[in-house]
Parts: sequence; structure tokens; C-alpha cells
Amino acid sequence: MSRPCGSNDRLGAMEKLVLRWFLIPFLAVALSARAEDQPASAVSREVKDIFDHCKRAVVKIHGADEHSELSGTGFFVDPTGTIYTTYSVAGEGANFSVEFDGKKLPARQLVADIRSGIAILKADTTSPALPIGKSEGMEVTAPVVAIGYPLDLPETPSLGLVGGFDRKYLGYYFHTTHLRVNVATQRGEAGAPLLNMKGEVVGIVAFTLENNSSCYALPIEAAEKIRSDFLRFGEVRHGWIGANLMQALEPKAGSSAEVTELLDNTPAANSGIHAGDILLQVGRREIHQPDDIIDASFFISAGDNVPITVMRGNERLTFSVQADVHPTTEQVQRIQRLQHPLMIAQPSTTQTTQPLSLEKAPERTP
Amino acid sequence: MDEFDNNEIGRLLRLKKYEQPPPGYFENFLHEFHRRQRDELLRQPLWRIALGRAQDFMMSLNVARMASYPVAATAVLLCAAVISLKIYQTTPAPNVARLSPAVPAQQAAEGGWSLAAPVSTRFTVSQPRTHLSTHRAATPPRYVLDSMPVSYESSLRF
Repeated sequence: MSRPCGSNDRLGAMEKLVLRWFLIPFLAVALSARAEDQPASAVSREVKDIFDHCKRAVVKIHGADEHSELSGTGFFVDPTGTIYTTYSVAGEGANFSVEFDGKKLPARQLVADIRSGIAILKADTTSPALPIGKSEGMEVTAPVVAIGYPLDLPETPSLGLVGGFDRKYLGYYFHTTHLRVNVATQRGEAGAPLLNMKGEVVGIVAFTLENNSSCYALPIEAAEKIRSDFLRFGEVRHGWIGANLMQALEPKAGSSAEVTELLDNTPAANSGIHAGDILLQVGRREIHQPDDIIDASFFISAGDNVPITVMRGNERLTFSVQADVHPTTEQVQRIQRLQHPLMIAQPSTTQTTQPLSLEKAPERTP
Repeated sequence: MDEFDNNEIGRLLRLKKYEQPPPGYFENFLHEFHRRQRDELLRQPLWRIALGRAQDFMMSLNVARMASYPVAATAVLLCAAVISLKIYQTTPAPNVARLSPAVPAQQAAEGGWSLAAPVSTRFTVSQPRTHLSTHRAATPPRYVLDSMPVSYESSLRF
């Protein structure tokens, strides 16, 4: 059966029209939607892999302090049952136990360091361990996963991004740089490990910001420093030199951290460092501004010889200073009070006293 | 009243004669009167309002005419039945917390004495709370997540 040639042409034109204006756009939209789905599912798969691989090493911690029973999160960092968590979870309580492999095991406190906010527990068991990563190499927007125990719920993964590396919050300085991460956290998740996308621990969830939408995490390097001190000395030994810093009026050699004061009876007093020197390096950490001393100071251990490089005039000098034990704030204030005693008002001795006399009374105006 | 004589009172009354209420007083008088009346009604305690309404209701039913000997006897019997049921109902034994022995249970089981673990002495061994007439199984623990760091650096010193 043959069709007229003109009719065939018209049909072909219609087909082309449909193909051009409807089918091709439809296919393009469908393919692009599928292409958008692929990265989302890839991220989801990656998070699932991390969660499946790491969740066994994350434990729920129970304890009791003078107020009530408490519950938080921690994680194994070696195969002998050593657990990292925060001071708020295991710093001041007692009767600790951890939920691991469906069992409740007793745990004892090894370290509780209020300065860093880190506590270390030990459960007598063989355990899986999370690999330790580096927070220092991370960048803002790096994706991170936290695994914690919110409230009375089972282990829960939360995905977020590194929002910043902060040294102070609401006007107060931290003891070391903290990771601000856009990970929604709930009560019970203090002490949860913060993992990079390789499944390595880069931080410990410490405290939440307003409305729990994001949180601060202690850098894992801080916890490693505390653990290292404990292994070396059997206790945490924060070190200090005994110098105060301020913003210099004129930066030198790329640094604006000026030594303003050396406290008496401290390692700094006899080190050769002078007030007015510009600090360039403390240990292995370069100093560019006064804030940089936060991390440089935190990682000093008492008893260690710390090389300190300063700029004096146009001369670059390096001193080796043995760090002392970091005093408490009250002790520092006492030292400063001794160094700068308060000025007390006294009666002047130069002014001659004049006897009172009615004759010399000033005239009053009405 | 002894202080005022008739002249004095007369003078005061004459003065009163010139006193006028504020404009619109008489126009709003009825409205204000009803408003205050409603306020007074609402200011009564709830039980008095309920009692008043119950009285009105009973009066509308004309209870006096309905009250007869059979009705009264039935009411008495019903009351007696309810009271007797209450009296002869068995009361459950109360769930009372028992004090633990002076030493922690854990140590007593091991048979040894230790100065450690003073916290355990704070607890008393009580029957499970599920036996008590409460909906909560146990006091939930404090789930930890602070909103601030445990300490701050006091200043830029090292």
C-alpha cells in the first residue's frame, strides 16, 4: 500500500519536529538528572563505607558524677582498649563503663586534662582502633564524618564540612586551635570521633554551637600530645616559658609578635630573651602574629628544651630554653602581682601643713 | 457629725448641686452597669458558679415532687454498695526501697575490703522502678554535649 509522496514528507517533518522539540530536551533533562544523582550517591556510599568500617571502634561511655549518671561517646585508638573522649564526659566522674560488642565493660580513667579538654580511658579488652589522621593539613570545606551516640540512640553518622580553624570563640582564646565543623550534633555525642573521608580521626567533638547546627572539635594532635605526655611522664605536663606577647607596632621579618614582659623566676627570665624582641619561631612552629603562640605554647612539654628564635634589631637570635611546668592562672597572677605591686595612695610629705585659723577663712558669697 | 451644724451641711449641699458627672455618663450608665455585673459574676469562684447552675437545674426538675420513698431507698442501697466495695478491696503491698548493706555489693561478693570506689556507697538497692506507679522506667542519664569549652587560655603568654 503506497502513500502519496506529499503525505510521507509531512509525516517525516512531524517526526523531526517531535524529535527536535520534545524528545531531545526530555532525554537531556533525564540524563542530567541522572548525572546529578551520581555524585550524591557516591558521597552517600563513601560515608556508608566509613561508617561501616569505623563504627565498631566507637563506644558509648557511661559514668556518674556528683550530680547524676552521664552518657557520652568515645573511641578506641589502639588495640589494647585505650579510649579518647572529652573532659566533659570522663574528666570528673567515676564508675566508668563502655558499651562494646554488645557488652558493658568497666573502664578506668588514665588522664583527665582540663586545659586541653581531653580525657583518656582504658578498658581491659582487645579492641579495634581508629587510625589517627592530621587536622593540620585540612582545608576549610573539607568533608568530615562524626560518629556518635546521641541521647539513648544507637551509633549515628553525621556528615559535614570543616567551617574554620578558630583560636578564639566569643572573645576568649582556646588553648589550641579548634576545628569548627558544620556537623549537627546532639547531646551524648561529646567525645565522638571526627573522621576525614579516609576514615582517619582528625578531631574529637567537644562542644556545640548555638542550636546544635555545628560544633567545635579538638584537633587530634592535641589528644596525641596529651597521650604522649602520659606515656613519657605518667602525667600531662604542659610547658611554659614565662613571657607575655603583644601586637608589635612595626612587624619584623614577617612577624608582629612582640615580647612585652618576662616574668620573674621563669625560664624566660634567664633565657637571654629581652622585652621588645620580635618572636619568629617557637619549637617547630613559626610565629607571624601573637595568636600563633596559642598552638606553639600548647605543644610544649615541661622539661623539653625549646629552641626560640627572635629578631632583635636587625639580628636574628636563637635561644634554647628549658620549659617549666605551666602554672595555673592564679599562680601566674600571683607572679605578676609580685612583679608589679599595686600602687597604694599615700599622704604627700612635700606639702607643708597649715594651721587652721578663723581669720583666714575665705569670704562666702551669698 | 457634731462638727457640722445645719448651716454647714446646707452650704455643702449647695456646693454639691453644681457638681456634674462627666459627659456621656448617663448615656453609658446602663452599659457600664451590665459590664460590672458580668465582671462580678465572673469573679466568683468556679465551684460557686457550678453550684448555682446545679441549683437552677434541680429547681427546674422540681426535685421535691420526685423525691419519694423508693427513690430514696435505691439511693441509699447504691451508696452502701459503693462504700462496701471500697472497703473490702485488697490493697497491694507498698513498694519500699530497701537500704543496701554498708559495704558495696560488689566488694561483699568478692569477700575483700577496699577503700576504693567510694561512689558505690551512695547507692541504695531498691526494687525496680517499674513496680512503682510511674510511667518512667528510670531517670535518664545526662547526655553530655556542652555549649562551651571546659577552659580558656587566660592571655597570650607562653
